[in-house]
Amino acid sequence: MTSFRVKDRGRVKADRPVRFSFDGVAYEGCEGDTVASALLANGVHLMGRGFKYHRPRGPVTAGSEEPNALIGTSRGVGRFEPNTRATVQEIYQGLTTESQNKWPSLKFDVGAINDRLYMLFSAGFYYKTFMWPRSFWDKVYEPFIRRAAGLGKAPVDVDPDHYASRYLYCDVLIVGAGPSGLAAALAAAQTGVNVVVVDEHAEMGGSLLSEPSVGINGKAAWDWLEATLDELGRLPNVRLMTRTTAIGYYHQNMIALCQKLTDHLAELPTDAPRERMWRVRAKQVVLGQGAIERPLVFDGNDRPGVMLASAAQTYLNRYGVKVGNRPVILTSHDSAWYAAFDLADAGAKVGAIVDTRNDIQAALMQQAKARGIETLTGHTATATSGRLRVKSVRVNPVRGGRVGKARTIDCDALLMSGGWTPSLHLFSHTKGSLHWDAEENVYLPGQQTEECHIAGAGRGLWGIAAVLEDGVKAGTAAVRALGHSCDAVRFDVSDDRTGNGVTHKELATDRSPGRAKAFIDFQNDVTAKDIRLAVREGMRSIEHVKRYTTNGMATDQGKMSNMNGLMIASDALQKEAPQVGLTTFRPPYTPTTFGTFAGYHKGSHFELTRKTPIDSWAEEHGAAFEPVALWRRAWYFPKAGETMHMAVSRECKATRESIGIFDASTLGKIEVSGPDAVEFMNRMYTNPWTKLAPGRCRYGLLLGEDGFIRDDGVIGRMRDDLFHVTTTTGGAARVLNMMEDYLQTEWPDLKVWLTSTTEEWATIALNGPNARKLLAPLVEGVDISADAFPHMSVAECTVAGFSSRLFRISFTGELGFEVNVPARHGRALWKKLMQAGRQYDICPYGTETMHVLRAEKGYIIIGQDTDGTVTPQDAGIGWAIGKAKPDFVGKRSLSRPDIVARDRKHLVGLLTDDPKIVLEEGAQIVTDPNQPLPMKMIGHVTSSYWSEALGRSIAMALVAGGHEKMDQTLYIPMPGHTVAAKVTGTVFYDPAGERLKVE
Amino acid sequence: MNAHVTPNSPGPVSLTIVPPFARFSLRIAAASVEAASKAFGLELPVKIGQGQAKDGRAAWCLGPDEWLLHAVETETVQIMEAFARFRPETPHSLTLISDREITIAMEGARAAELLSVACPIDLARIHPGMAKRTVFDSAQVVLLRDGPDHFRLEVWRSFFPHVHELLQIANRELASGY
Repeated sequence: MTSFRVKDRGRVKADRPVRFSFDGVAYEGCEGDTVASALLANGVHLMGRGFKYHRPRGPVTAGSEEPNALIGTSRGVGRFEPNTRATVQEIYQGLTTESQNKWPSLKFDVGAINDRLYMLFSAGFYYKTFMWPRSFWDKVYEPFIRRAAGLGKAPVDVDPDHYASRYLYCDVLIVGAGPSGLAAALAAAQTGVNVVVVDEHAEMGGSLLSEPSVGINGKAAWDWLEATLDELGRLPNVRLMTRTTAIGYYHQNMIALCQKLTDHLAELPTDAPRERMWRVRAKQVVLGQGAIERPLVFDGNDRPGVMLASAAQTYLNRYGVKVGNRPVILTSHDSAWYAAFDLADAGAKVGAIVDTRNDIQAALMQQAKARGIETLTGHTATATSGRLRVKSVRVNPVRGGRVGKARTIDCDALLMSGGWTPSLHLFSHTKGSLHWDAEENVYLPGQQTEECHIAGAGRGLWGIAAVLEDGVKAGTAAVRALGHSCDAVRFDVSDDRTGNGVTHKELATDRSPGRAKAFIDFQNDVTAKDIRLAVREGMRSIEHVKRYTTNGMATDQGKMSNMNGLMIASDALQKEAPQVGLTTFRPPYTPTTFGTFAGYHKGSHFELTRKTPIDSWAEEHGAAFEPVALWRRAWYFPKAGETMHMAVSRECKATRESIGIFDASTLGKIEVSGPDAVEFMNRMYTNPWTKLAPGRCRYGLLLGEDGFIRDDGVIGRMRDDLFHVTTTTGGAARVLNMMEDYLQTEWPDLKVWLTSTTEEWATIALNGPNARKLLAPLVEGVDISADAFPHMSVAECTVAGFSSRLFRISFTGELGFEVNVPARHGRALWKKLMQAGRQYDICPYGTETMHVLRAEKGYIIIGQDTDGTVTPQDAGIGWAIGKAKPDFVGKRSLSRPDIVARDRKHLVGLLTDDPKIVLEEGAQIVTDPNQPLPMKMIGHVTSSYWSEALGRSIAMALVAGGHEKMDQTLYIPMPGHTVAAKVTGTVFYDPAGERLKVE
Repeated sequence: MNAHVTPNSPGPVSLTIVPPFARFSLRIAAASVEAASKAFGLELPVKIGQGQAKDGRAAWCLGPDEWLLHAVETETVQIMEAFARFRPETPHSLTLISDREITIAMEGARAAELLSVACPIDLARIHPGMAKRTVFDSAQVVLLRDGPDHFRLEVWRSFFPHVHELLQIANRELASGY
């Protein structure tokens, strides 16, 4: 195999070989190589296939903007990654890589038939081709498009890697460790402020890594670089981070960084994260992102071997790889001339330097001449040849706008430069304005919205001396803004390769432009012709052109294509570029794994699950659980062989006949305390509280200002100035926030304080005729006999030796108590009650049984029987309103005409004609099942259960004018049949409440 | 408040669960803080974030009218009675929250780094002796800083497993050196 490795060039460690494979073939590279540089060193340019036309493709860049050389990498189960940029992925021993978008092989790909059919695949072809017949869309077209869309295979196994995250504060964050970034760091660091420097590459230096011939302060570029990094690295106030990409710039100088930690390692260290997301809050930011070279647009500009001139220079100088032995340079910028000189000096036979410009600096012409390189100025390129690798380029002179006679030059690499595009991505995230530089045909950073400074090539400067100086300026400005002054840092630069150039739309040709495969977006296979077609078909804004052609919509976000697309669109529209626009850059700057965003949130740590102190007991006893807000709650306790229906029926029966025990710890609890507590309660809740004596409790109903039910719960008055408020499980935080809101904004004069005690207490509910018998022997400090401790009482006492707040209340219609003990004792108390309850066959029950038992009594569940539009009158609990109270939250709304209207939806009971049928919750209700479709729906079922106590089904429903429809039959149409049900009241069981009165 | 070492937390930062102690949320008008100091036997700090500790009692000012109080558990009733005595003339709210939270103590040169895994505030601005209500991986916590390398996290009981699990994952991550 031919080696294209150049001795004594590059920074890779030639004495440390690294074996890896690509498409099953073993290759050898050096430590420090990327997959792309190592393959190029082996003479391999063909690394992928184009997305739409499946044309053979090779790397066109040497960096993260790469659109072509996208590969799959794998290192064992779950560690497959598609669309990895070969130009970024470092090689390590045993790395396995594969090409994408080809079948059966990369060299012979059946999909390449698309290339012959390219006329069918013009812009907007989906919309035009797949219109008819309509019926084909779901079964044929869409699946086809979905399969064809996107490169690479999606991973199918669970990712075993660990992803991390970190927050970081710093004074100055410098993005990009090229010459401008490093100069900024040197300036800023000397003041002692905290400086963080990040760079996406494995090593810092940026363009200096590709330009070793420049001298800085009397040192060769790389010696200066080493000394500088060493100096910065030794400063305690400087943090240098490589392989770290600033992916997003958010409000108030919050920058997201993605740090790749292990993708370059042969062995994965234990517990090491693969990637880490840093959320950095920087007081000042310096953006030294540099510039990205623009490709030239001409027929056949996508063949393997056609690449950016700067990339060839990087492969040569940084990686010690010659990208070809007979390169031809095609350029409109001076910078590519130096690539030609470097390659020639490394032993390549440069076929020609073809420049679109007529006038070239004399110095460049002389240097070319000195090296024996032919120069063709005022030329265009009109075609290339070569299937799997470029073989020749066809060039023509352009004189007075006329394209002259063609000439073909053989080559094995064609190195192009269409000028440079400043990287505005992060600046653009800040929504800072952009300024159009009509001379250079580039957008530059304009008005800033954040505390940031842009330095170097990122704002259109060129040459090492210029960007170093600019970096110092930016670093100085950053620390000045922080109130520091710093000494001037000066650089003496020798052998600087300054220069300039021009930019183009597609290059002039003597052939039909309509047949040219002149690519703009290599990753999405968009050509110049597509852009012009989009304009012809009516697209006027670049945003529309982008969406119609998909230009810039690939994962590279058009880093190389946006400006060429804009130049051509603006030419086609005969408008200045700024009038055509610029598409929006969005985070992340480069493709970022989902893992980085997810961080630690996977597996057992995926989402926060709140558990009660009694949860572990429920789990040990086989409970089925259901999520309620963030909590998981025991749903029912199935015994061996029991279905949910059987378990719930058993639990209901046991509770009604003897005693059931229920974990109610998730109920929200708020301590309302202070001399104005009762006034506050009167204003918040609908009920009157003034006359509620300490030691008594009451059902409380909370409305919003709109008069609709928000929450409810039993509230105990512990002292004159202290209420123990309970809320629904899901409403706890919301109710506390609402109360705080009123207290702080409406009634700051009230002397009352709110404290959440939800988690201070474990709450156990005992319900059933034997509840008192079980509890009484365990209670000390209060007499809980029927007379001494009537229904709706509360007392502080001890239960089983634990200090307790004991309520006599019932959410089941049975004699009931709720015991609150300090949370740490919840499980112990539960076990004691279970033990003591054996004699009564005590039955633990879950939320489902709780729901059934309360529905039998017609007690509502907020959020199930109410939906935020239900008033107390609608819900049939108007009795909970303190009519004599001057005011409470929502009172005024209750007299609004639409709130008192008679046809509002009311909560009613429903009894199906067939008692065995349990209605579906959410089912719609109609008056006449025979009316034509669409039927008029007058309400829906909110709660529906099998009632073991009644031996039939029961349901509650919200029905328009329901309170006036008592005893009427309504219909619930279901798929295939219709259910008839009679409207009733909502209290199905023990309407007189006799069962509460157990002696 | 002797912390005991809980096993199963390998890593450079020692993570321990603090045994139960008396914890109160005190709400009182700033103007009346002297009375509270008297009842608690410790001069309550008046600047938000600041703490004060003496003889087994500690107090941190968390808000304009809010203090977090710590004491030995056996003194719970005694403290409640002391506050109850002056409640009639100086209204306030003293709520026992000993069981609401579980406290995790962390110690080690990399403790702040461990916290930075999921605590979004600038820890350099929380000086030893200070406290702050903040979040850790979306769970509300009160962060106490006892020294440069010593923190306590007070976490609502049901959020504790989530917070503690991440601290352990991150502690192992610190140990990995990456």
